[in-house]
Amino acid sequence: MIHKSKLNQINISLSPLHDILIILIAIIISIIFFSILIALLNYNVTRALLTLIETSFGSFFGFRSTIIKMIPLTFLAYAFAIPSMVRFFNIGGYGQMMFGATIITIIAFLFESYNISSYILIPLLLFIGFCSGGLFATIASFLKIKGDIDPIISTIMLNFVSLEFLYFITQNPLFADPIAGHPTTRPLPTNSLLGNWYGIPYSIIILFISIIFIFYFVRKSKIGYEILATGFNINAAEKFGINIKRAIMWSFFIGGGLAGLAGTLEIININGRLISGFASTNGAQYGLFGALTALIVGGVSPLAIPIAAFFMSVLLVGANALQRTMGLSVYVVFILQAIMVINIVVIRTIFNKRR
Amino acid sequence: MNFINELIRQITTYATIYSLLTIGIIIGGKTGVFNIAGDGIMLVAASVSFIVSYLSNNWLYGFLFGILIGSVFGLLFSFIHEYFKVNQFILGLCIIILGTGLSDFIYNLIIGVRLSNPISPEVPIIYIPFISKIPILSGFLNQNPIVYFMYIITFISWWFYYKTRIGLETRGIGENPKAMDVVGINVTLRRYISTIIGASLIGLAGAYLPLIITRTYSPGIDGGRGTMAIGIAIFASWKPQRAIIGGFLFATIEVIVYQLQIISKTIPYQFILMIPFISILIIMLLFRRKIEYPSSIGNPYNRE
Repeated sequence: MIHKSKLNQINISLSPLHDILIILIAIIISIIFFSILIALLNYNVTRALLTLIETSFGSFFGFRSTIIKMIPLTFLAYAFAIPSMVRFFNIGGYGQMMFGATIITIIAFLFESYNISSYILIPLLLFIGFCSGGLFATIASFLKIKGDIDPIISTIMLNFVSLEFLYFITQNPLFADPIAGHPTTRPLPTNSLLGNWYGIPYSIIILFISIIFIFYFVRKSKIGYEILATGFNINAAEKFGINIKRAIMWSFFIGGGLAGLAGTLEIININGRLISGFASTNGAQYGLFGALTALIVGGVSPLAIPIAAFFMSVLLVGANALQRTMGLSVYVVFILQAIMVINIVVIRTIFNKRR
Repeated sequence: MNFINELIRQITTYATIYSLLTIGIIIGGKTGVFNIAGDGIMLVAASVSFIVSYLSNNWLYGFLFGILIGSVFGLLFSFIHEYFKVNQFILGLCIIILGTGLSDFIYNLIIGVRLSNPISPEVPIIYIPFISKIPILSGFLNQNPIVYFMYIITFISWWFYYKTRIGLETRGIGENPKAMDVVGINVTLRRYISTIIGASLIGLAGAYLPLIITRTYSPGIDGGRGTMAIGIAIFASWKPQRAIIGGFLFATIEVIVYQLQIISKTIPYQFILMIPFISILIIMLLFRRKIEYPSSIGNPYNRE
């Protein structure tokens, strides 16, 4: 059975210096590969690389779009990384994000006719978004505990369930926008929307608060300790009286909750309405990118994951500019990112084997 | 009668995608390699095979290139997995992103943006004399060559795994690689070959989409079928002969929902589309002792 497999390559604890070295080597290898690819296609390599990096810092617009991409990416990286502390893969970040967003859309429309102050409604929506994403992920951990179904499979299946639920709401005559070409709801009532500060969305504040919360949860809380112990050695943890079922449940609840929160923020702060396909960027799911970001870091680090997410968003924004200015397809950056992550994982495995 | 026949014909056309994909995943899984990168491989195979067949105006080249791309990815997958012992699921996730990027990149590079979508050459339908006149059976059989290929490959893989000695050994690798190594079987080589063959079938399923279903390429053409097939593989207990049943089940739901969408816009067909996924989870929960897994699935094989 899969659950016996040694998924020990998620959290390999190397020293930070080692880790930085590995990531640097991997970035250099993938950039060399990328440059060769660009050169073979007769594009200007230096210009392409500069565009890729500079776009995010060259203009305010570029910086803003980087931040907008970075926020959900960070949340979804945590959504993958926290369950991976107990050595389970949560591929359902995509589904949990959509589920949270769909539920809060329904709630926001339910309160449409009552004139509730934003100061009450928005925290309520954030709370509900977190809980619904978390409970949706808890289904996967419940299936693991009761039915021994590997979370990889159950989260993939639940992604499709969540996707269909989102289509149901966006095409429902109660919520749907009749003018829009593709499945979209009407704009949400204004009292449920978060504003922005000179274009930088307020959700970044919630991101900071969440990172502090994650830090506290992982390093200081009792459940965080139990999760860590369970991931370290599940049999030993059980023998020492740690409730491993509870540890698994909580890790999925927090991970899924963060994904749900990402979906909520995306709706109430960026889009202002539920759009089918909001959980994707540049044509691929945020969930997958989140997993890649978490794999770059290889653990739950409060500082490293936002940095890695920022780096990934810089590349994604740069790719858009690459298409505008040089006519190079956006998708070229996916190749760069995938090769980078494969490199990091391979090099990390080699380092780990040597010791 | 005509309506039912047409429905069966449509279902069979769609079932081929799912069956090929599922058998591809099962063949890898039988030796313990869980290939979750189906989506990525399919997309690249779809884009390359479409480009090849469009430029050469020959559908057969398209399918051959689909198989080729699949096997290249299978080689890549098994090399990184077997040589560096990288976790299969991590590798699968990376290859999904790699494939998503590569497919659209290649398409934009060679075809570019056109006002009207280019159309792939038509694939002929093979009629078998006499049988093509029988009402129900003809729906299953008056089809493109790939459907026949799917029937044959299902039969061959069943025969191979359950009737031949090599097949028994290969199944043994999935159950207990160490024991097979002791007997003197080259475990790593078998795993390479199985992964490559499995991935090439996934590539063929990828080529099937633009050449037969849509006749043109668009980004995200696979619609997540590569991941759905993982569910069918589990539903089928990793048995090739059951994969075809699972494929037909999924295709039936897909076709019926499509028909419902045409008939009425008010039916919440989305809930019907949820049924297969929820039912896979419920089946796994209820029959967890009856569903069989190759026991070594997901693990790299280490000799020491």
